[in-house]
Formats: sequence, C-alpha cells, structure tokens
Amino acid sequence: MNCLEFRRRIGAEPRSRAPELLAHRDSCKDGCAAFWQRAQRFDDDLEAALVIPLPEGLVDRILLAQATGERRRQVGMRRAWLAMAASVVIAFAGVGMLWRQNDLNSLPALAVAHMPGEIEALSLTQPMTDAQVEAGFMGRATRLKGPMPNGVTYVHDCTVGPYPAVHLVTRMNDEPVVALYMPGKMDTKPGTFERDGWEGRQMPLRGGTLVVLAQRGASRGAMDAVERGWRAAIEGPAAQTIGRI
Amino acid sequence: MPPVHKDVNPKQRQYEAMVRALSADLYRFAFWLSRNESVAQDLVQETFLRAWKNLDSLRDAESAKPWLITILRREHARLYERKRFDTVELDDTVPEEAAFASPERSGDAAQVRDAMLKLPDKYREPLAMQVLGGMSCDEIAAATDQQPGAVMTQLFRARQRLKDLLGGRAAAEGGRK
Repeated sequence: MNCLEFRRRIGAEPRSRAPELLAHRDSCKDGCAAFWQRAQRFDDDLEAALVIPLPEGLVDRILLAQATGERRRQVGMRRAWLAMAASVVIAFAGVGMLWRQNDLNSLPALAVAHMPGEIEALSLTQPMTDAQVEAGFMGRATRLKGPMPNGVTYVHDCTVGPYPAVHLVTRMNDEPVVALYMPGKMDTKPGTFERDGWEGRQMPLRGGTLVVLAQRGASRGAMDAVERGWRAAIEGPAAQTIGRI
Repeated sequence: MPPVHKDVNPKQRQYEAMVRALSADLYRFAFWLSRNESVAQDLVQETFLRAWKNLDSLRDAESAKPWLITILRREHARLYERKRFDTVELDDTVPEEAAFASPERSGDAAQVRDAMLKLPDKYREPLAMQVLGGMSCDEIAAATDQQPGAVMTQLFRARQRLKDLLGGRAAAEGGRK
C-alpha cells in the first residue's frame, strides 16, 4: 500500500482497523502516522460535535406512542372478535328459531299437539260399527276401498293443524293405537318419530297421509297391524303379483 | 430509568430495550438528516412504531441499528415526498436553534455543527450514518443502494468539505495535506 492509497482510505474511514492500513501506518516514514493521528482527532471532534442534546422524555414518548397504538390495536381486535361472536350467536339464534318454527309446523308436531284434546278416546273400548266408521270417512269425502280393521273404538272428523282429518282409535291386543288420515295432504315423506311421549309413523296413502300414533311403550306389532289394516281399508286389498315369491 | 418489568412479553421487552439503547443515536441521526428538531422527533417516533410492527424480522441485536437507520431513511424520504405537496413551504435548511441550546453551543463543537449543517445532503447523510450509526462503507452502500467505492468517495469528500468549511481550525489539525 502506498501513502496516497493509505490517506485516501483513512480520509474516508478514519476508524478502520484494516490490517494493511495499520501496517502502513506503523511502517511509513513519510508522516502517515501523523496523518492518522490528525484524522483520529478530527473524527473525535466530529463525533463529539454530532452528539447533540436529546429532547427530554424521548424514550418515554416513544414507548408511550407504541403502548397506546398497541392498546388501540388490541381494543380494536377485541371489538372485532366480540362483533364476530355476536354475529355467530345471532346467526345460531336465527337458525334455531327458524328450525323451531319449522319443527312446530311439522306433521309429527301437529299430530302430537292434536292428541290432548281427544285423549279420552284412548280409553274407549266399545267397538264401533262399520257404518259409523264409514260415515267418519264420508265426512272427509273419502270412500274406503277395503275391509276395515277390527277393534275400531273411535272415529271423528277433526282438524290436525290446517289439515282436515279422520281421527280413529283402534284397540289392538288391548292397546289403543291412533290413526289420523288426512285426505289431500300428498307431500308427506314416510318416516317414524318420537315426540312428547308418543311414538309415531307417517306415510303417504292414496291421495292423502296416514299418521299412526301410540303412547310410548306400545308394541311395534300393534302399530304394524293398525298400519296394515288402515292401508288395506283406504287403498283396497293389494293386487296379486304374478311370479312374485 | 426504571427497569423493564419482568412479566412483560419477550417481544415487548426486546422493543423497550431497543428503544432505550438506540433512540439517542437514532434521534441524532434523524436530526442531522432533517436538520430539524421536531421533524427528527417525529421521524424517530414513526421509525420505532414501524420497527414494532416488523420486530419479528429483526434477526440479531447487532443489526438493530442499521435496520432502524434504514427504516428512518425511508420515513424521511416519505416525509420529503409528502412535503413536496404541502401548500406551506418550509425552509428546512435552517437548523433549529433549540437543538444547540446548550453550553456546547460555543467553541469548536458549534463550528463543527455549523459546518456539518452546511454540507450537501449527499455528503451529510453517509457521514452521519458512519459517525453516529457506526456503519461501514459496505453497510452504507447496501443501505443506500450504491457501490462501496462511491460511498468511500462521498465520505472522503464529506470530510474534505468539512475541513474546508472549518478553515484554519482544520488546517491546524492538518486535515489538508
């Protein structure tokens, strides 16, 4: 390294401790050591001069600004979470209300709700005549096509929710089983249900709907028999199928 | 200065330690960059707020100061951009007297400061980065998107210009060969 290069580099970076600079400083006979000393003194002065006094409370103001901003951000986030939680709760409540409203208007709910008004009919044991039963169906403009089941103890024209119905009680093995036939209600999907102490099944039947109900604990066999009996009576005997095993 | 509280989370502790350790140097750098005390305070405040938001990107303590200086320079550039559209023209070449309102106002330090304020931006900024930020030529070059050789030339000329402005004093120190 020559003196020119040394002085150019020290002039730009006086604090540099590059080994080649220090080596030249220590070996040069042309005053580079003195040049280095003057450069250090100049930078000492420069450093001292640039250290201007700090405004009072600088650190505290910086920390306060950060803490305030952070707190505001946290409050904002908390509010956003609360708003989101409230939205979810409202959405669930809305869905729940809709579901409940829908459920209350379902056929099982309407059928079960109809029962307390005629609960005494379950305790009747005197069988009704075929003519009385047929008259009940005629009241709903329905003509039976097959033989009636035995043991019918009650028949009445009722309204289940908005649907006109024939309310029947059939005593099967001494168990009262209710059948509600609603002519004209044709959009029913077959299924079973349990509700408020009642077991039931619903099915579409010849231009209408049949709901079979019994109090919880009733035998499945009794319900099956009543369902079969009223199906045969309303639809007529099943047609013979050739070749069916 | 009260110590950092124990149950503060590590990020907050790191941030507070960084503010306490580096805010002085950063403020001084901001002042020599903007030559305005209140602008310097705003710059430092904004720089630390941005640093807080991006603290996770700080890898090690050694790089904290150059990182903060880089953020501050960007903030200063943004401020300058905004200022161009302000309706009120501010003469930011006039330093605030308050910055020097201390016993050090008199004497050599005051002369050096006056000379420093007269340096063009292209010399004053790298010089402040080197002297106050402790940054090497390579680091300044990386931060300012320049070649190290160009930065070295700027630093050399910055000192030469300072010595010229200081006149006899610098000559007495042998600043000029």
